[in-house]
Amino acid sequence: MNLRTDLTDRTERAAHLAEALAGLYRGAPEPAPTLGGRRAALARLAAFDPRDYNRTRNDVLHRGVSALSMYLRHGVLGLAEVRDYVLNRFGNGPGVLKFVNELGWRAFWQTVYAAIGERIHQDVEAPKHQMPRRRGLPDDVANAETGLLCIDESLRELFTTGYMHNHARMWVAAYLQHWRGVDWRDGAELFYQHLLDGDPASNNLSWQWVGSTFSHKPYFFNRQNVERFSGNAFCARCPLAGGGCPFDASYAALAQQLFGVSLAELEGVANKPRKKTGEPGN
Amino acid sequence: MPTAIVWLHGDSLSPTDPALVANPDAPALFVFDEQLLAAAQLSFKRLMFLYESALEALAGRPGEIRRGVLVAELLAFASEHGAREIHVTASVAPRFRRYVAELGDRSQVVVHEPQPLVSRPHEPPRRFSAFWRKVEADALRPTGTGPAELL
Repeated sequence: MNLRTDLTDRTERAAHLAEALAGLYRGAPEPAPTLGGRRAALARLAAFDPRDYNRTRNDVLHRGVSALSMYLRHGVLGLAEVRDYVLNRFGNGPGVLKFVNELGWRAFWQTVYAAIGERIHQDVEAPKHQMPRRRGLPDDVANAETGLLCIDESLRELFTTGYMHNHARMWVAAYLQHWRGVDWRDGAELFYQHLLDGDPASNNLSWQWVGSTFSHKPYFFNRQNVERFSGNAFCARCPLAGGGCPFDASYAALAQQLFGVSLAELEGVANKPRKKTGEPGN
Repeated sequence: MPTAIVWLHGDSLSPTDPALVANPDAPALFVFDEQLLAAAQLSFKRLMFLYESALEALAGRPGEIRRGVLVAELLAFASEHGAREIHVTASVAPRFRRYVAELGDRSQVVVHEPQPLVSRPHEPPRRFSAFWRKVEADALRPTGTGPAELL
């Protein structure tokens, strides 16, 4: 069947699409606040100033991110033209270099996808630690009702806008896998269904990066990390602020609790202090 | 009669898509792929984003958006326009390769390459850090000025 190409009003377009694609989507037929199309993408690119990106990109609330990921994923913008634009406009200071490095992550996921194809849907490597692998998404996660404000607000944003900040994605992916013992494939499926930038390779391989089936160790976090990168906005309002937060421990204690090993063993090198390495972005 | 149509897909939804640019007057088609979407059950938000992006990419040329079986719709569209060639921009998705092979049995398929950020290494490293060491200099070298629309 043919879809209409003459509608200009967004509400009318959404109503038409909802009817035309009946049976092919889940949930309510409500558009995201983010507009599709090249004009909207260019407006976002023109408004993006990456000069402090290296310092601000991990802040979940204040967000120095570009929010271009959905346009890059669907080829509305190309990686090369965005790189060219930011380098020409802003020069190659540390913020711009970090941003181009993050564009590099997308190129990396695509390179791996080109090489291994459908194998991205399975463990790329053996996990580096013992972990339960329960299948199925818990209801409280599907409903954004885990009782953990940092997790629930991130999930609610995903469900209502089709976007989640990269750092929050890492928290949710680590929480589901390491604290809840959920197989990465179920978390990845949830993200893929909702993220406007959902890409099979970036998404599956990032979940595996967190889980350690595409990295040399699992990624995990603690309450301090949430506080630091959310300006304490989540923890201050969390019902578990006064006690019971499962993330409220040192990395050493969490390594023992979650993986049954010392931090040094988890790092793979005894007596080496924990070093923050590059993380995949969006 | 046009000799070519353009297949526009979800990995290259721009009016600057290389296959579109190479065929400025050719009719173009975007298909909401029933087989893929029935299985994936994406949120409506994602489909709306694709619809809006496709509408803008097709604006100003004979273009259609359809729901159906992708290969069948493309072959029908080519036949309706008397086109002998289907032009498309490459994707790394395995599904894309399967569709190109299917189409190739019945039509002439011309694949255009998008401009890459970096030249793809022959053997992709398993870790980003190793990948980045190989490509960093290339990645940081501008090849143009960016989107012409912003000049």
